[in-house]
Order: sequence, then C-alpha cells, then structure tokens
Amino acid sequence: MNTLALPAREARGMSPAAVAMWLLLPIALVNAVGFLWPVVNLLRMSLNESEATGALIDTVSLATWRNVLTDSFTLELIGNSIGVSLFITLLTLVASYPIAIYLHRSSGLWRTVLLVLVIAPLLTSAVVRTYGWIAILSNQGLVANLLAAFGLAPPRLMFNLTGVVIGLTEILMPYMILALLSGFGRLDPRYEEAALTLGATPLKTFWRVVLPLTAPGMALGCLLCFVLAISSFVTPKLLGGGRVFLLATEIYDQAIVTLNWPVAATLSMIVLVLFGAALALYTRALRRIA
Amino acid sequence: MTTSVKLAAAILALGLLTQGVRAQSSITVMGYSGLFQERYTKAVVEPFMRAHPDIQVTYFPLPSSAAMLGNLRAQKAAPQADVVIMDVSVSKAGTDEKLFDKIDESNAPNVRDLYPAARIPDVAGVGVTFDNLVMLYNAEAVKEPPASWMAMADKANEGKVVIPGIPDIQGVSLVIILNKANGGTDYLKDVSKGIAAMTEIAPNVQTWEPKPEVYVPIVTGQAVLGAGWNARAQVNNQTSGGKLKAAIPQEGTVFQINTINLVANGPGGEAAKTFVNYALSPEAQKAFTESMFYAPTNTKAQISPEALDRTAVKFMDKVIPVDWIALAKVRESIGEQWRRRVLPASR
Amino acid sequence: MMSIRPDEIQGLKQAEGFLSLRGLTRRYGNFNAVDDLNLDVAKGELVAFLGPSGCGKTTSLRMIAGLAPSTSGHIVVDGHDITGVPPYRRDMGLVFQSYALFPHMDVARNIAFGLEMRKVGKAEAQERVREAIALVRLSGKEQHRPAQLSGGQQQRVALARALVVRPSILLLDEPLSNLDAKLREEMRNEIRDIQKRLGITAIFVTHDQMEALTICDKVAVMNHGRLEQLGTPLDIYEHPSTAFVAGFVGRINRLAGTASGGLAEVAGVQVAAPGFDGRVEVMVRPHRVSLSAYAPPAGDDRYALAGTVARATFAGDILEYEVEAGGVLMKSEAATRGGEGVLAPGTPVILSWHRRDTFVYAAS
Ligand SMILES: Nc1ncnc2c1ncn2[C@@H]1O[C@H](COP(=O)(O)OP(=O)(O)OP(=O)(O)O)[C@@H](O)[C@H]1O
Ligand SMILES: [Mg+2]
Repeated sequence: MNTLALPAREARGMSPAAVAMWLLLPIALVNAVGFLWPVVNLLRMSLNESEATGALIDTVSLATWRNVLTDSFTLELIGNSIGVSLFITLLTLVASYPIAIYLHRSSGLWRTVLLVLVIAPLLTSAVVRTYGWIAILSNQGLVANLLAAFGLAPPRLMFNLTGVVIGLTEILMPYMILALLSGFGRLDPRYEEAALTLGATPLKTFWRVVLPLTAPGMALGCLLCFVLAISSFVTPKLLGGGRVFLLATEIYDQAIVTLNWPVAATLSMIVLVLFGAALALYTRALRRIA
Repeated sequence: MTTSVKLAAAILALGLLTQGVRAQSSITVMGYSGLFQERYTKAVVEPFMRAHPDIQVTYFPLPSSAAMLGNLRAQKAAPQADVVIMDVSVSKAGTDEKLFDKIDESNAPNVRDLYPAARIPDVAGVGVTFDNLVMLYNAEAVKEPPASWMAMADKANEGKVVIPGIPDIQGVSLVIILNKANGGTDYLKDVSKGIAAMTEIAPNVQTWEPKPEVYVPIVTGQAVLGAGWNARAQVNNQTSGGKLKAAIPQEGTVFQINTINLVANGPGGEAAKTFVNYALSPEAQKAFTESMFYAPTNTKAQISPEALDRTAVKFMDKVIPVDWIALAKVRESIGEQWRRRVLPASR
Repeated sequence: MMSIRPDEIQGLKQAEGFLSLRGLTRRYGNFNAVDDLNLDVAKGELVAFLGPSGCGKTTSLRMIAGLAPSTSGHIVVDGHDITGVPPYRRDMGLVFQSYALFPHMDVARNIAFGLEMRKVGKAEAQERVREAIALVRLSGKEQHRPAQLSGGQQQRVALARALVVRPSILLLDEPLSNLDAKLREEMRNEIRDIQKRLGITAIFVTHDQMEALTICDKVAVMNHGRLEQLGTPLDIYEHPSTAFVAGFVGRINRLAGTASGGLAEVAGVQVAAPGFDGRVEVMVRPHRVSLSAYAPPAGDDRYALAGTVARATFAGDILEYEVEAGGVLMKSEAATRGGEGVLAPGTPVILSWHRRDTFVYAAS
C-alpha cells in the first residue's frame, strides 16, 4: 500500500526518474519472479546431463550444449522452425491485413460486432480450435467433401505441414489483427484522399501511403506472430501428424516423452535466443520505419 | 513449474480434507489419470481402504509417466507421494536418480509370487501390470481380424492407418516386432529390418500422433487400422459397443510393463509398503485385470475366463521378450533411423 | 442589377462555364448537406464559397474532387461530364481543411508527391518543388516532417503541394485559416497571382468575407446546402439578393415592418417597397446611416428618423452609435475624424440614409 501512495505524496520532492523507478518496481518484481527466475532455472538445467534412460545427472558442463549444437538434427530443427514460422507469419499478415483495414475503417455498432468476432476465437483455447480444424480438414471433413462434390481428389490437408500452416495461421490471425489495428493509429482516410487528388491510383496510394503508414503495425504483428508460431506446440502436435518437426514439439518430446530435460532446456534456451533475435530485428525495422 | 505448484495446492487441500478423518496414516498414490484412475480406484484403492480403515489413500493423477517423474524430481527434498505407478523405463530413470526404495520380499511379501518378467534388474519397483501391443481395427470396415501387422501396408488402407510413432514406445514396439518377423536377431544391435518393414507401412499412415489417443479415430471410423495397448483397447471395445476390436497378429507382440514404486522418504512410511503389498496381491491383481484387462503380474491371481480372454495371457508364445532398460540405451539411434527412413516414406 | 439568381442559372443550361455544377445534391439520410447546387465557373476564374459553418462547403468540394459520391446531379468540366470519374484522373488539386500532409514524408517529398505521380522528370520536379517551397516561405524546412511544423506551416505545405502540380482546377478548403493576419494577406495575394498567371480555375472556401471579397472574381454564398447568390463581390455587397446574403456579408441593421401599396412602414418611416405586401424586413448597412443634429433637406432622396443616442462605441478607426429610434435600436457608424467628440447617451439625433442603400425583403 505504502509504495503505491509514495510516488503521489512525494512526487514534488522526487525527481521524475525516481518516481518512474517506484512505479516500475512492482512489474520489475513480477518479471523477475515470473520470467527471469524460470529462465535462470532453464539455463541451469541445460548445464546438466542426461543418461540414456532419461536419468538426470546433476553436474555443470557444456556437454549437452555441445551435443545439441553439433547434432545436424538440431540445426535442421532450427532451420525448419524459423522457416515455417516466417511463412506462417507472412501468411497471417496477408490474411489479416485486409480484415484489419476494413475494421479500422468501419465504425459504430458494426465495428463493435466485427471486433467481437475477431476477438471471440481468443476466448476459446487453441486446442479446441485445432480440433475444429481437424473436423474441417480431415479426409471426411468439410473441405474434402466440398472438393469431392466437384469431382476433385482432395489433397492431404492435415497431419502434415499444410495442416499446421492452415491451423496456426487461423489461430494467430486474431493476434495479428489486433496488433495491426493498434498500429494503424496514423492511418487516416484523408491521407489516401490527398494521394488520390494528387493523381495517385488506388494501387499507388496503397504502396506509397497506406503501406508505409501501417508498417509499424505490421512489424508489431509479425514479431508477435513469429514468436507465437515458433513457440506453439499444441497445434503442430495435433495437426502435424508426427511429420512436422519444430523446436517446440521437440522440446515437448524431449521433456515429456524421452525425459531428457537437459536437452529440452538447451533447446528452450535456443528458442529464447531466437526470440531475442526477432526482437532485435523488430527494433531495427521500427527505427527504419520511423 | 506449474505442475509442482498445482501439486502443492492439491496436497495442501488434501491435508485439510483428511484432517477430520479417523485414519491414523494417509498415503498418496501417484498414477495415470483418466480411465486408469477411475478403474484402479474402484478395483484396488477402495477395497484396500475397506480392508485397512486406518489408512487413507489419495490418488494423485497425472497424464504420463514423465509427468510423474517430473513431480518426483521437484519434490526430491521433501516427497509428497508414497507410491508411484509408472512405465518401467521411467521407473529405471527414477531408480538411477535414487528417487525410489527397492521393493522386494522383505517389504512386500507378495513379490515372491510375481512372474519373473515383473522383477526387473536394476529397477527399484516391480511390475504391477502387463500390457501388450495389439493391432486395432474398426470392426465395421474390417470383418476378419487381420492376420498380419503388414495388413497396415495394404494399398487398400491408404490414409487409414494410425500409429503412435517414435518416440512413443508403441512405435518402438512395432519396430521390434517387425524386425524379428523379418529375420532380425538382436534389436539392441540392429533394427534395420524392422525399419524397412515400417517404410512399407509408412505411406498408408494418416497420423503418427493420433490425438487424444489412438483408439478414438478407430472408433469413429476416421481410421481403420492401428497399433495400441491391449488394456485400453479392450475397454474401448466395451465402451464403443464393439466398433473397435483388437487382435494379436501372427508376428506377435511385446509386453509393456507398469511398475509400482516406493518413493524414498515418502511421508506415509509403513502404510505405503502395506499398499504396495496389497497392490501385488492375487485379489488386487484379479480385480484390476477383470476391470481393465491388464494382464496380472502375480502368478496366483485367479482371473475369470472372460477377462482372461481379453488379455495376452493365452498368447504368451507370441510375446517377444523386450529388455526395456537395455533398449533405452539405443532408443536414440532407433529414433534417428525412424526420422531418416520411415517418416520420409510417409509424406 | 448584375446579380444572378440561382433560378436564372437553371435556365442557362447551355451557357456552361469551364466547371459547371448541375443540380449537385448530397443527402445524408433525410438531411441535404448539399441541395441542388447549380454553378458555372469560367476558365481562370477564382470563385469563393462563402457560408456559415456546416452549410455544405466542404461536402461540395469533396464531390467536385471526386472524393465523395453525389446523391444526384452532374459535374461538368470543359464540356465533359466527369461525375463518375475517379479523383486521380480529374487533374484537380485540393487543399484540405485539415491539411492531410503525409506524416511519413518530409516537406520536400510531400510536395514532390503529385509530380512523381505525374511522372515529371527528376530535375524539373526538383526545381518546381524548390520554387513551391520558396513561394510559401518555407525554404530551409525541406527536410522537416509535418509533425515538426506549426499549424500555419503545415497549411502552407498543403498549399504548395496542391499548387506545384498546376492542376486545371484548384480547390482550396479554408487554406489560410491558421495563418496570422499579415501572412494571410501575403498568401492570399500569392494564391491570386499564381492562379491568374497559370490560368487555374479555382474555388476558394472561406469564412472570411474580406478574403472572399478582395481576391475572388465571384462569390457564391451558401446556406443550408443551397446556393443563395452568385455574383461579383460588388454585386454581393451592394445587391444582396436574399435577406440571408445581406445579413451574412458585411454588417447590417434589420428592421421589421409591414408593407402595403408599395410602401413599408418601419420604425415610423415610410420606405419604398414596390411589389411587397405583408411583413417585410428592411435592411441598411450601419456605415450608410449618417447621424446629424438636423433633418436632411426635404427632397433629398433620403429617409430620416429622429432618436436618441443609446450607446457610443469608439473603435479607433470608426465610431459606432446605437440609436434608439421609433422603438428600435439602429446602428450608425462612420470613420472618425480629428477634433470631433463623442455624443453622450441621451443626445437627440436624426438618422438618415439614402434610398438606394435600403434593401427590402419579404420576412421569412
Ligand atoms: N458523413 C456525414 N454524415 C452525416 N452528415 C454529414 C456527414 N458529413 C457532413 N455532414 C453534414 O453535412 C453538413 C455540411 O458539412 P460540411 O463539412 O460540408 O460543412 P462546411 O460548410 O464545410 O462547414 P465548415 O465551415 O465548418 O467546414 C453538416 O451539417 C454536416 O453535419
Ligand atoms: Mg468545411
């Protein structure tokens, strides 16, 4: 209680920096407990070793790191995860952008209805939504039947990379749309009108005015979706059919099936590094846009 | 992290609940959740408590052996569980980590009556259930029980086969069975013949990760053939009204062993040993086999003929012996071959 | 009488200007934001749109620019009906009331945008941008982003951006509203010069009567979405065709009265009102009302009225009296002269004004 009252009461006597420090303290503590401590634990676990039986050997060594980093499968996993996540992110962006633009331009009750429709999937767990996709994509599902009605042989839409990409794209779309919307603050229809009166075709207007103005939203949405995609494992597990190998699913297998916690921890740390890289890229992109 | 928090909360709640009860001691049994919990509580835990009114048993369910090991690791300093039922390979890891006390005739006299396969060298616990791999089939689509595992390779079954793939041990089991059938000798040295057979099945496989369990797509007709564990297959056979059936093909099957383990320094003390001994007794073994069709590990258990028909006991000649502990050491290399040869064939 | 009434325009369908509006209407639900607008603007002419806030000026401009659809009516440019033509093919420049500068481009690139779209060569474009920047007195600010400029500076960038492409029609929506008086006067003369030099046909929306009257060839007075009067500044001022125009442009005394037999009785004075019958409004501008101690000589074409000074307001340049006469308050103002005092309230005076300065309208 006291810490909360403090900044207000003593604000006059405190420098703004000190006030900011006090206000940041609670979240810093929460972060330390909720994020830093688990990460430190993970790091510690990655320095242990594991016996073939899965038994944990309590030690401090870089053996697990060495094994993981020299294993061609790990490198394949990293490449795969980055590639698949980037592709999904791009697809999500392309699919979400028009929706976000439309939402941005709509108003009143209609906008509220649309927003609720966009957010509603977030109220359902990704597991449930993934099962929904199984029903739609299975070989007796909606899409297959629809194609069959036109006499087309349905391709395999699920239990492979296609299924994972479809499922994750849909699951990530609400996040992308919300991120895009939050970044569309600078987009005002008058800029487009100005471009049109200056002789720009709608396409030119889009490239020269709309796209640059929405770039911050796109960067944010891509960062968010990339991070979510690379760390998602429920959907790849359910829709991948054991054919799609990603870092997150491998971490799950190592931690839950093979019981190799040090390897799981090491792979988790690698994911964390990828997050860091994504964040750095985002920051750089943002600086270039601004 | 969260599971240990949940566990702590659960145990706190249990502590509060059990305070008013007359029981002098209370123990916690950690085991599989879902069907296993339901049936095991009815067949073993409740009769045990009736026979031992002074002992209160709490069943703490977890979805997998690995989750159980995770919990035990987290509470190594101050264990909350007393008895754990888990897969033998995981039990070996736990043994190596000194999480368990050795169970033998001295603290559980019924161990004396167990089948030799239930006493595993270098594992602290002993076998409490035997299960075996079965071929699952949808009885509406397949009229005759498939004679061979290789029925899964038939062109007619394209996209209709579901197999829990490696690293799941059902996939490992299938590789071992097919390895032997194709002239392989020592699965610890070389499983290439089993892998080769799997590459023939692979193109037909719909998914290597059937969810939530392999039995569901077979029951619904989403898939037609599959590989799964006998006990659950039998229960699913009953609950689906016969839509799913199980068979042991000519190539044979392998046993999966669940062990019962005594947690080192568990809070329950002697009561835990009493429970372990009861769980291994002929009556408990009979009750659980008749309830969920795991084969008994106690030689003296008198199983009803109907229940016996649903276990592998009559087909002991078809069971290929597997040393799960030794197998764990080559698991990684089998997984590697699986990824390099089987999966590419199933794309 | 040079004033042209809207109803006359409708009769002149053939005599089109360079830009002609025919029955242009914009309806929002039941509300007519722009109501049956008819207007002809000759090539190279500068026309002011003058009217109270919300009367439909911006809406009209947006329809002309092609940014908003019209509910009905036509827009004709140089004999071609362009009603359905998209904005980017209309070759019009529009200066937005809210500037609408591209926030992600600096001043130079904002101004160059239209030239780029028109594929003007690089060297020429650079030169024209430089000229435009100099014209709006923003040299040195080329690399600034709109957010780094003051409101007035942004407005000037918007002006430069529209002017630099030399559109055939220039639409200006209150382009000077945010400038100080001095800059405003300078800029409006600049706009006028460029417009004349390049022969651009322009519409200039403004609230400022002074602006409208001083630089525009014609003034269109709008009210409630309708065109009240189109005429030269002189017409509009000296011969307002409706009571609204008379009241809106310049200041005025309004006197209510009743007319019969060609005469209207207001404040005890008989005013000529040929053709009127019933309730009328009689108007006269304050500076055309003179104030003296004596009645004007008879036969002098003036109306006169006796009253007493109610209030005097000295404003430096002018001296304004409010006089209580015949039961109404009337304003009279005149330029101040040296050596003249201010009459105290209660002083009896005679008000008089010329017959031709008297406007009579049927009361609404
Ligand atoms: N989208 C809209 N929906 C409903 N009514 C509108 C809409 N846009 C404008 N209006 C109404 O149309 C009328 C004309 O608006 P307009 O913007 O043309 O006025 P204006 O003459 O430019 O006023 P100002 O001098 O204040 O800029 C106003 O009464 C306004 O409320
Ligand atoms: Mg306006």
